[in-house]
Amino acid sequence: MKVRVPWDNIYIRLGYREQSTRMDETTREETEKSIAYALSFINMRGAGRRVSLSEKGDDRVSLATADVFVSRNLSKYVGDCREVLVMGATAGELIMEAIRQDIDADNLTRGSILDAVASEMTDGALDWMCDYFNYQLKRENKKVSRSRYSAGYGDLGLEHQQTMFKMLRLDQIGLSITDSHMLIPEKSVTAIARIMDV
Amino acid sequence: MKIQELINERVVVLDGAMGTELQARGMPSGVNPESWCTEHPHIVRGIHEAYLEAGADIIYSCTFGGNRLKLSQYGFSDTAEINRKLATIAREACRGRGLVAGDIGPTGHFIEPFGDLGFDEAVEIFREQIGGLLAGGVDLFIIETMMDIQEARAALIAVRELTDIFTMVTMTYEQDGLTLNGTDPVAAVVTLQSLGADAVGCNCSTGPIEMKALIEAMKPCATVPVVAKPNAGMPELIDGHTVFPMKPERYAARMKDLVHAGGNLVGGCCGTTPEHIKILKGVLAAEQSQPPHRRAISAVSSPRKALIFSGNRPVTLIGERINPTGKKQLQGELRRGRMTCIQNMVGEQTREGADLLDINVGVAGIDQEQTMAQVVKLLATTSDLPIVIDSTNLGAIERALRLYPGRVLLNSISGEREKMDQFLPVAAKYGAMFILLPLDDSGVPDSAEGRIDIIGQVFEGAETFGFTKEDIVVDGLVMALSSNPGAPGETLKVVEWCSSEFGSLTVLGLSNVSFGMPDRTWLNAAFLAMAMSKGVSMVIANPAAQELMDIKVAADALLKRDRDASRYIARFSQSTRGASGAAQKSVMSPMEAVTAAIMEGNREDIETLLTRAVASGVTADSLLHECMIPAITEVGELFDRREYFLPQLLAGAETMKRGVALLDPYLREENRETEKKGSILMATVKGDIHDIGKNIVCLMLDNHGFNVIDLGKDVSAERIVEEIKKSRPFLVGLSALMTTTMVQMREIIEGARDEGIDCSFMIGGAVVNEGYASSIGAHYAKDGVDAVRVAGSLRQNE
Repeated sequence: MKVRVPWDNIYIRLGYREQSTRMDETTREETEKSIAYALSFINMRGAGRRVSLSEKGDDRVSLATADVFVSRNLSKYVGDCREVLVMGATAGELIMEAIRQDIDADNLTRGSILDAVASEMTDGALDWMCDYFNYQLKRENKKVSRSRYSAGYGDLGLEHQQTMFKMLRLDQIGLSITDSHMLIPEKSVTAIARIMDV
Repeated sequence: MKIQELINERVVVLDGAMGTELQARGMPSGVNPESWCTEHPHIVRGIHEAYLEAGADIIYSCTFGGNRLKLSQYGFSDTAEINRKLATIAREACRGRGLVAGDIGPTGHFIEPFGDLGFDEAVEIFREQIGGLLAGGVDLFIIETMMDIQEARAALIAVRELTDIFTMVTMTYEQDGLTLNGTDPVAAVVTLQSLGADAVGCNCSTGPIEMKALIEAMKPCATVPVVAKPNAGMPELIDGHTVFPMKPERYAARMKDLVHAGGNLVGGCCGTTPEHIKILKGVLAAEQSQPPHRRAISAVSSPRKALIFSGNRPVTLIGERINPTGKKQLQGELRRGRMTCIQNMVGEQTREGADLLDINVGVAGIDQEQTMAQVVKLLATTSDLPIVIDSTNLGAIERALRLYPGRVLLNSISGEREKMDQFLPVAAKYGAMFILLPLDDSGVPDSAEGRIDIIGQVFEGAETFGFTKEDIVVDGLVMALSSNPGAPGETLKVVEWCSSEFGSLTVLGLSNVSFGMPDRTWLNAAFLAMAMSKGVSMVIANPAAQELMDIKVAADALLKRDRDASRYIARFSQSTRGASGAAQKSVMSPMEAVTAAIMEGNREDIETLLTRAVASGVTADSLLHECMIPAITEVGELFDRREYFLPQLLAGAETMKRGVALLDPYLREENRETEKKGSILMATVKGDIHDIGKNIVCLMLDNHGFNVIDLGKDVSAERIVEEIKKSRPFLVGLSALMTTTMVQMREIIEGARDEGIDCSFMIGGAVVNEGYASSIGAHYAKDGVDAVRVAGSLRQNE
């Protein structure tokens, strides 16, 4: 998976504001060097799966895989779509190790940049997956919605991350999940996006 | 007429869209197009005939999704038969009016190393489809709409393992000029033509206007004809439907630009109709086709980028570090199948300026084939640099060449009979370039003349497999000065002969020259400069060797291999920038310089500046209270106003921290120890592993004189309460990033109150806010600067 580097989003995540932030050339160079350094540790991997809906209630969405997501907001988001794309992505363990090393070496400046790059790249991986599935869906006159929904957001409990983890077999791309439903390595995400008719 | 004759004669016209035409003629949404077409042969035949009547020279069989994986999604298993039937329908429609291209599209799965579908399995899946198409009598193949170069390779290898008929490969590109997987058009051309594609290009992607830049990029490096099959303009969403807006006349007019850019075979993709093709045929009648601009090219590629060895580019540096010889840690990791060390070496060499990465996994007792595959897959997914496969193990070489999604440089093939017999066919099959080692079964000739004889013999053998001089890099064979003082001179003669007479690229493994000598750097660097003056093209070296890299950059500039000496200027102005910054500070007063260092986050110079300030008579107490604290406060305010962003805030804070540590002994001497404002206990709550925000807050509080006790992340309520009782802080800071973990905050505060603890609590994190904080009896801090403010105000009110 080759995710385009979301430069603008990385800077925004770091608090850069076009209108107000003053950045000298040295800071810019250092920041870009740190971003390049971060990228050399990031190995984006992901998994995506189209799943048909078997049933939809006001407060739940049931999938053809027999999994059920309990969430009124998700049900509303899905609307009358008959299929969803379930996705997961990770920036890998090496970048987390690099962040830890920077923090231990009192280099929080670079550590925070590495952290921002990894977060944005992981998010970018989900965009990439939507684009990828859209290529295939084009022939079926369908497309994936740009907006998506994640476990832990709104009323979709984080415990549903366990369901997505199993459904996508995320262990095969090196992820694990804690008892409190957190994905390891830290820079990993899951999401659901609706598939709509064009 | 045969396809090659057609291409030599004129611009070849391909057909237009099939999918949108099928839909227009009644194919319902949601069905499998291939199966539907076998049940409605008259409809698909009608579309083929319409394109032939419009003037298409080549029609594509309706088999784009005719592979086992796609068909099985709809419950079909007779892949070969479906393909045969659809190829036959196209064949029948032609009746001598054109040629049939067997259409092969993507499987919809990612192939290793980018996905979980095994490469050999993918090849097998395509072979099944190709078998059916051949049985149906196709004249050529088109592998199209590929967004993954590895999938295009798998399909092309599948064709080549079954037949040598003409095969075109077209990839699909995003608006930024790269495939979705990040391959640029030049890399695609270099990879695919070397692997045996007879024509390369792009389809779908964009309209003809946007596709022009892609064709312009491909043409100069293409040794085969170029294909362009764009959509009828960029898709627009009108009333919820995707519409391709370009009318046939406008489309055909813009297609002329693609022919002028170098397109040899042109047609239409999504949204184009027989009418588009009819007008296109008319417009192109007067156009001349440009043959390929070159017959061969010295170039390698990674899955994303190509490296073209043109004469005036800087000497290519092959990073030598991924080689276990003499590296115990790497040997150990390779034995255990771990890749961390290699990943680090890739990152370091890339940052130091390597152009290519040499890969050698020669460790005794390991399965080299498997290890090589593992390393190659890692590099394919994590590095943009092309690779050099450095091995004498035929199995490992073949596995690497088959798996790597780019064009590889093989290191090496010598004049030894067995090596030539075994390695040349494998390198030829996968289109690799190779390093020619001028030694034979009698060993390494001492003289340049002896080596030149072997070069001739190996090249003659290579030519029979279709290699050209552009595919070869001659190793000058560097021997140790310590064992033969004349050896370096003979090597340089080989380099000079190759550059000026033979006409091939050359490479040297530099460090051999200094083997057994003291201070080897100088011999290596001097030898490099001498070899560069003889025209050497590449060197295998460690890019972290500063002296060597300095000499290389300087010599590149002197030999006009560095346009406008821009690399030289960039390298050496960079190294003096720090010095000039320090010089600038030397004109400021010591206190001004320290203030500036904190404001600028100058961690490198702060200790020197403070030492100078103390030596000039400024007291540590004045430095701390009159410059450093006001400066870091100002940094915080700038961050608050968004004039600084996070890295500037943290750089300032880290500079401050270093400075305070340096001043500490001076303050003791002045009997003015850094006074602590009180203790703050910090923790990220149980179940939460996200703690970078908490770490930032700790740094900021520490800088402002608070005694910070950091318990880390994923800390239980019980432990936090215990620690409060033990260290009695005036404030406890808690962070959480998830809605599921923020509830812990309430539990901790209630647990503390139950134990009679009355200290203050401050919370922060992405999911909490002021309202939540007050609902659980805590204060809220939105970031590190705010946390300092909250802590300061609580301390004052105590």
